[in-house]
Amino acid sequence: MSEFALEVENLVKVYAARGKQPVRAVDGMNFRVPRGIIFGLLGPNGAGKSTLLRVLTTLTRPTQGTAKILGYDVVKKSIEVRKRISSVIQETAVELFLSVRDNLLTYARFQGLDQPTATRRADALIENFQLGAEVDRKVQDLSGGFRRRVQVAKVFMVKTPVLFLDEFSTGMDPLLKRQVMNLLRAEVEKGRTIILTTQILSEAEELCDDILIIDKGKQIARGDLNTLKLLSHGVYEVTLTFDRLPETIQSEIAALAPIRSTVEANTIDLALKTEEGRVMEIVSALTHGRRVLRVEVRGASLEDIFVELTTQHAKETA
Amino acid sequence: MSALSAVVYREAKIRATNFTFIFWDLFFPLLYMLVFGVGINSALGAPPGLGNVSYNEFFLAGVLAMASFAIASNTSWSFFLDRDNGIFYEMLTYPMSRSEYLLGKVIFNVFIAVVQAALTLVIGRLLLGIRVNWQSLPLLLVGMAVGTAGWFFFYAIFALRIRRNDVFNSVTSVFYFVFMFASSMFYPLDPLPAWFRVAALLNPITWEIDWLRFTSIGLGNLHTILLEGAAFVVFALACFIYAVRCLHRQE
Repeated sequence: MSEFALEVENLVKVYAARGKQPVRAVDGMNFRVPRGIIFGLLGPNGAGKSTLLRVLTTLTRPTQGTAKILGYDVVKKSIEVRKRISSVIQETAVELFLSVRDNLLTYARFQGLDQPTATRRADALIENFQLGAEVDRKVQDLSGGFRRRVQVAKVFMVKTPVLFLDEFSTGMDPLLKRQVMNLLRAEVEKGRTIILTTQILSEAEELCDDILIIDKGKQIARGDLNTLKLLSHGVYEVTLTFDRLPETIQSEIAALAPIRSTVEANTIDLALKTEEGRVMEIVSALTHGRRVLRVEVRGASLEDIFVELTTQHAKETA
Repeated sequence: MSALSAVVYREAKIRATNFTFIFWDLFFPLLYMLVFGVGINSALGAPPGLGNVSYNEFFLAGVLAMASFAIASNTSWSFFLDRDNGIFYEMLTYPMSRSEYLLGKVIFNVFIAVVQAALTLVIGRLLLGIRVNWQSLPLLLVGMAVGTAGWFFFYAIFALRIRRNDVFNSVTSVFYFVFMFASSMFYPLDPLPAWFRVAALLNPITWEIDWLRFTSIGLGNLHTILLEGAAFVVFALACFIYAVRCLHRQE
């Protein structure tokens, strides 16, 4: 069996609608993902993340190239691939006419679980996902948030070695999201590989061991957080809190041409691309003669890297 | 095998936990037979040129075919429901082949069709005095099973190729009208104009009805029935192969 959870080679997916220009949703991707990590797939809307996931989960056939899950080709050995994956897709995929418990048990049946194991795991998940009060209600009578819980809970019913999560935290409250993130981390420690897409970069920053940033179907950057931060060398985040916001601060910030800036109450947040020594000069100039409650200078966040890389890629391809 | 049984289990669970589905599935043809059949039988009497066969007896096969047609149409409509719920695409990532998915969906509905047929025969005999040929009951049930499966595969092609629910509903309404009325479902074909007879004889639902009529009340010619039965099996197989292809192209 392959040492890689995922191998993608020259992968291309073109959507060709009649009377329209063909769209290269995935455009020549090449990468490998080792087993037992959380792999993040990041990109702006329309970058090709969901299409790539659809190819990897055997929903869509690639136009060119190959993709393998644990050594099994997604086209030639699709059943073998499906036996080894479980997935949470972007839509809330649940059985509306079945109860919460029946949703879990039906899913288990599809995955070939025996009845006693399925019942035991369903009971545990109903508790973990705080679904106890809703367990016998039909899912069509539940709110969107509860439906999402049922959908995500299903993938913990099985122990497939590879797990695909497409925007898994959509509709989850912060407490449940935190709990699910802990569960995901625990699953990885047991050896599972998780491939996730997300728009919430703090989520990726916290969860992912390895990140691939894509845009317009192409790879832009790849690596762990530290590697990506090196790619964005010279980006700094500055947070300043004043006792009251200086009147001229907005124009002073604009003159610095930051990558991004926000002003909220008495606090300003800036992301600047500059030299290390210059950052301290800027901080000193902005705070000079003013009463400052808090000063914080940090290296670039994933969000800064993401914005910088995707903007740069957009300029290059324009 | 376990994938097939999982799809059957899912279909059964959805039906069994929804009383309205069960009621509609089991009693729809009976209601049709009792209301429409009795009405025509009383108003117009026996169909011409068929000896001592009453309209209720003649219409029995039509009711059974109509039931298999309706079950097939409703089952294929569930693709839209599943697609709207998102579960359709998730299911396509489950460990099963596309053909297992289609067959699993149809197996439970074939079972419903067979139970429904048996119930219709018994009640038709008890309430309307229909003279049923019980010896050929197994052949009749085979006809129901193949008929339901064939029509399901036929409808599945359209349900999988058409993206919009309203367009699919319009298409099925046209199908209902054309297939049912241009057939031997409601009236014998012999007294009809030649062009209509040709259209009806080319209609696969006529092949199914003629098989069901022969096996339920013994009306028809064995040679023709065998030919029509074989033609229907070919039709069902062709629809199955094309429906699997359509399922592979879901993107």
